[in-house]
Amino acid sequence: MKRLPQRKKRRPVVIPIASMGDIAFLLIIFFLVCSETSKERSDLQVTLPLSEHVRKNEVSVVARISIDNAGAIYFDGAQVDGPKDVEWGVRALLTSTVSDEQRHVQFNCDASLPKENFEPVLQAIAAAGGIIEAVGKESN
Amino acid sequence: MRKKLSREKKNREITIPTDSFSDIAFLLIIYFLVATTLVKVKSITADLPAGEKSTTAQSDKTPTVNLRGSEIFFNDKGLTLEALNERLAALELATLEPEKRVVMLESAAGTPYQNYFQALAAISANGGVVALVENEKK
Repeated sequence: MKRLPQRKKRRPVVIPIASMGDIAFLLIIFFLVCSETSKERSDLQVTLPLSEHVRKNEVSVVARISIDNAGAIYFDGAQVDGPKDVEWGVRALLTSTVSDEQRHVQFNCDASLPKENFEPVLQAIAAAGGIIEAVGKESN
Repeated sequence: MRKKLSREKKNREITIPTDSFSDIAFLLIIYFLVATTLVKVKSITADLPAGEKSTTAQSDKTPTVNLRGSEIFFNDKGLTLEALNERLAALELATLEPEKRVVMLESAAGTPYQNYFQALAAISANGGVVALVENEKK
């Protein structure tokens, strides 16, 4: 009768680690599939405008349009000649969309630029059917 | 001797070392986690009507925000940005039908994007639909 507890003590505890590699590779595949590479250029010289009404953007955008402090227009990181290129680019992207949620276009513009630089681009996005997500900074 | 060697060669098992695969995989995961930056920009949403250009004047009742340099005018009356917010909030645009939510946004040549953005943000935040006023080109 006294032998029973001794047997229990001798039982080896094995942690199953054979499938750890598979789990790790599955996690990598998950990250690769879910991650989205940034199409925006990080070297653009843009000072964002301030407003108390800006909110965290929760929607996904179909295109990113930027105007730097020199007035150069970028469509998804690539420089374009003018607002007409923006309009056609957005129009092409929105042809396959079905809902309003897929019409959002991110607009990034330098705060010091005059109306002549940015308004034609805003009108081009609107003419193509995009909903403008104008990027800004929250003012205190 | 030669025959023996060739037999030994045939019997030799080829094994691929897979013991370190899980370590490599976890190192890759750590790399992805460290290298990833989760960018969430702050923005305002403005759905500008994509409609055709109208040559006829809007009705007098349509509220109009006018930007002239650093000055803001609401229905031709000068006011501050805070006052503009109050005036737009008083209109309760969000409760109205979509076609009655229109707020005209007119700006003088050279108006900086900072002022434009603030006016656009004020209108959008109060439930307005922005309609851009374009001056006729001569």
